[in-house]
Amino acid sequence: MSRTRQLIARLRDDLGRSAPMPAAPPMPRIPEPPARVFPRRQEGSRYAREAAQHTTALLGIGHVGTRYATDVVLQFQAELAVAHEAVAAELPEDWATRNGLIGLRSRVRDHREFLLRPDLGRRLDDESLARWKQVGKRGVDVQPILADGLSAVACMQSGLALLESFTKACQTRGLTVGVPVVARHARVWLEDEIGATVGAQVAAILLGERPGLGTGDGLSAYLVHDPKIGNTDGQRNMMSNIHARGTRPEVAGERLAVLARAMVDQKRSGVALDLSRLTAELGEAASRAHRAPEVRVRLVEVQK
Amino acid sequence: MRLAATIRNVVHRFDTLREVMAKANPKKSGDDLAGIAARSAVERVAARAVLASVTLQTLRQNPVVPYELDELTRLFEHTLDEPAYKAVAHLTVGQFREWLLESETDGLKIRSISAGLTPEMAAAVAKLMSNMDLMTVAAKCHVVVRANTTLGLPGRLSSRLQPNHPTDDLAGILYSMREGLSYGCGDAVIGVNPATDTAESTAEILTAIDAVLEKNEIPTQHCVLSHVTVQMRALEIGCPMDLMFQSLSGTELGNKAFGISVALMDEAWALMKAKGSARGPNCMYFETGQGSALSSAAHHGVDQVTLEARCYGFARRYQPFLVNTVVGFIGPEYLEDGPQITRAGLEDHFMGKLLGLPMGCDACFTYHARMGQDELESLKVLLAAAGCTYLMSLPVGDDIMLNYQSTSYHDIPSIRSLLKKRPTPEFDAWLVERDIWDYERDLPGRAFGKPEAILP
Amino acid sequence: MILQPLPPRILSLRRIPNADPALLVAYGADPARHRSLGLITVDQDDPTYVALDEATKHAHVDVVFAKSFYAGARHGSGPLSGEILGVLAASTPSDIDDGMRALVRCLESDACFYAADAAKKTAVFPHVIASLGHYLSALAGLSPGDSMAYLVAPPMEATIALDMALKAAGVKPAKIFPPPTETNFAAAWLSGPLESCEAAAIAYCEAVVRVAANPKGEVWGS
Repeated sequence: MSRTRQLIARLRDDLGRSAPMPAAPPMPRIPEPPARVFPRRQEGSRYAREAAQHTTALLGIGHVGTRYATDVVLQFQAELAVAHEAVAAELPEDWATRNGLIGLRSRVRDHREFLLRPDLGRRLDDESLARWKQVGKRGVDVQPILADGLSAVACMQSGLALLESFTKACQTRGLTVGVPVVARHARVWLEDEIGATVGAQVAAILLGERPGLGTGDGLSAYLVHDPKIGNTDGQRNMMSNIHARGTRPEVAGERLAVLARAMVDQKRSGVALDLSRLTAELGEAASRAHRAPEVRVRLVEVQK
Repeated sequence: MRLAATIRNVVHRFDTLREVMAKANPKKSGDDLAGIAARSAVERVAARAVLASVTLQTLRQNPVVPYELDELTRLFEHTLDEPAYKAVAHLTVGQFREWLLESETDGLKIRSISAGLTPEMAAAVAKLMSNMDLMTVAAKCHVVVRANTTLGLPGRLSSRLQPNHPTDDLAGILYSMREGLSYGCGDAVIGVNPATDTAESTAEILTAIDAVLEKNEIPTQHCVLSHVTVQMRALEIGCPMDLMFQSLSGTELGNKAFGISVALMDEAWALMKAKGSARGPNCMYFETGQGSALSSAAHHGVDQVTLEARCYGFARRYQPFLVNTVVGFIGPEYLEDGPQITRAGLEDHFMGKLLGLPMGCDACFTYHARMGQDELESLKVLLAAAGCTYLMSLPVGDDIMLNYQSTSYHDIPSIRSLLKKRPTPEFDAWLVERDIWDYERDLPGRAFGKPEAILP
Repeated sequence: MILQPLPPRILSLRRIPNADPALLVAYGADPARHRSLGLITVDQDDPTYVALDEATKHAHVDVVFAKSFYAGARHGSGPLSGEILGVLAASTPSDIDDGMRALVRCLESDACFYAADAAKKTAVFPHVIASLGHYLSALAGLSPGDSMAYLVAPPMEATIALDMALKAAGVKPAKIFPPPTETNFAAAWLSGPLESCEAAAIAYCEAVVRVAANPKGEVWGS
């Protein structure tokens, strides 16, 4: 091929085979840089301070554009890391004996299995079942069960206080209470097998809730009348957010005893339980008047 | 019925359509837990191949939970729209997928046959669709409903404002609500999950929210998410209630575990139509989630996607204003990680839209699932791009009562900006009037993020 | 497609083996040395000049006559006129044959105009002669064997492009033909080392394309 033809062919490829470049649309000129970029001023928020009197929700945190300030991001990520750590925690093997409780285990073998196999967490393993048949007190009104659930941290921190408060409150209301146990790798429905084995009227499992941001110390309580394998959620009554920033264990213990008493009296539980005359004693109204929740703990401090 | 496919000279046989449906799912920890998942990736594809050649008629004639056992199956069979069904009954699931994706098949055409689809048909076609397929078809389906405001118009993304409090402290709830409103959230509903389930507290919270909405002339609706029987009692006591809520499951047994039935929901709907305070015809709100039936051992060996579709079949009976899956809430035993939760969110949204629901999604995870903030933000954008009717909104996504991670107040204006979406038209006007959003420049207005500007 | 070659069309090709002396003289030949003539008309003049020069490298021929017609090929006096008549003279017909073969070969596969736009409304001739023959070297004031860039384009495009070409490479203007030429174009002959001539031709050609695409704007965009 002729030299010129080759040259022009290469130029054609470089310029592109399509129609020639149309006129460039008018584009704004890039301005000169500013003399100096000033960082955003951190401002305290009165709204945040006021809201904190009533709630631990992350309010009054401001915005950069439509997103969060860096400080908020770091605080949030620290809380998430703490929550994930709490999920990963497990109840030590000897915690039961160290605290004077009978220790039972579910059929779960390890932590990942616990998260993915709730069915295994609902039944006792053979050894535990045999032991429980031996040491459990039969025919009691209420069988309380402390358990790790999804937060061993909660169980270890406020579990004993709740168990104690609940046990005393039941006894005050004339209910007989079974041998105290703590169950490891336990799901809510484990209370059915534990309660049924000793023929209790009501089973009450007090277990660690799924951790929330920043902390994993919340407990939930699920009560069921006539515990037996095959019960479902519709037959249980539950109370959640039992922790220092929600409903305190001492208060929760009382209210749970009220529920237990109602179940024994009415011989039913769940949706069917009639709570209409008990609203005062179950009184969320009472709590609102005189107690402000703790301030949300600031987790991240940078050393200057 | 012969259900078999050959891949590389190996014949994969299946005994029932139920088995085919389950094994056609992508990997889900809940299917593993139920023992019904495909045993290998190849078996999964074989199941999909078999499913692709089954007709919609065969699916109707073989519901996954037998007619004799389940009132929902009976409900679906008796209320199916026959002319709509006849239009598509002869199509195989594979052909149905293609018809849904064709350019000539627009949203109205899809809506015209959707009352002729059983939930199994929606689930079956979802199992043959990739994430982008699910988004593409869902984005075509616009379902518009009215309570006090108009929800679901094209080009719009709404949000539920969820100002939960662990002890239902009214001041705490209202502080949170005002913050959310200042970010442009709450145009779908102001919805509170109460810590305690009593008629008195339900009425009290609704009354407090109603007062703030009225004082600030905010066009939206309210709801307290106690058990439906509790809300019914609250209505009898007397209080404003724009929407009535209930969680639904996909089997009769599952609903029994929730303490409800078709008869009860019919009664609830009748009461709401008589005494609810919203002006428009759509007044019910339902939440669902893959895995709920399995979690109460009420799944009858059926996979969680098919059961989720059956929730929507149940929901549509009541012409709801809001339906959303709470996709990552039930736990990692059903959806283990980010990719599974993402897939489920897109599946649920698609199936809901296909079955004619104004489908939203609570894009969320619990802290014991393997998902992080970045992945969750991606899911929110995917859902919005697919035309999801609404998302949730909470302070930094942190629910201090239910202890899980959802969508944040900040996310709503961020996603709207990214994808050029706006809230309901009535709320839109309010945002402009209050200078919370400046639509000329598509930027925050002067009152953006200033909750003090909203009267308590 | 831009820069598509626009091949010149040879409209007529004739030979006079034994021309009358008066004719030889009238068309610039020398009867003492020349006996035969080869004639060609083409619809593009500049490629023909290049091809005539090329012929002098491959045969004992002289280019005795080559003139462009006013207003170009579209306004030709007849169907065979085109925009140029070129005449080769030699002592024998076989020399003429050799010369004509080289001439035609060059027109068919080498020298041609190119379309500067996709609609082919603007043409550019960005030709590089690696080694000049007797004819153009004499006209340009250069030596046979020198390299030369022969650059043609319509008036505006050519002017802008020539500026770019002169700046793009180490070339010197041998001759500049401001517009209008007989065919209403503008032209320039630039000399220098071969690489420089090539660089100049590329710069020229690209500039013509850009001016054609941006008639009122900056050539290189803002």
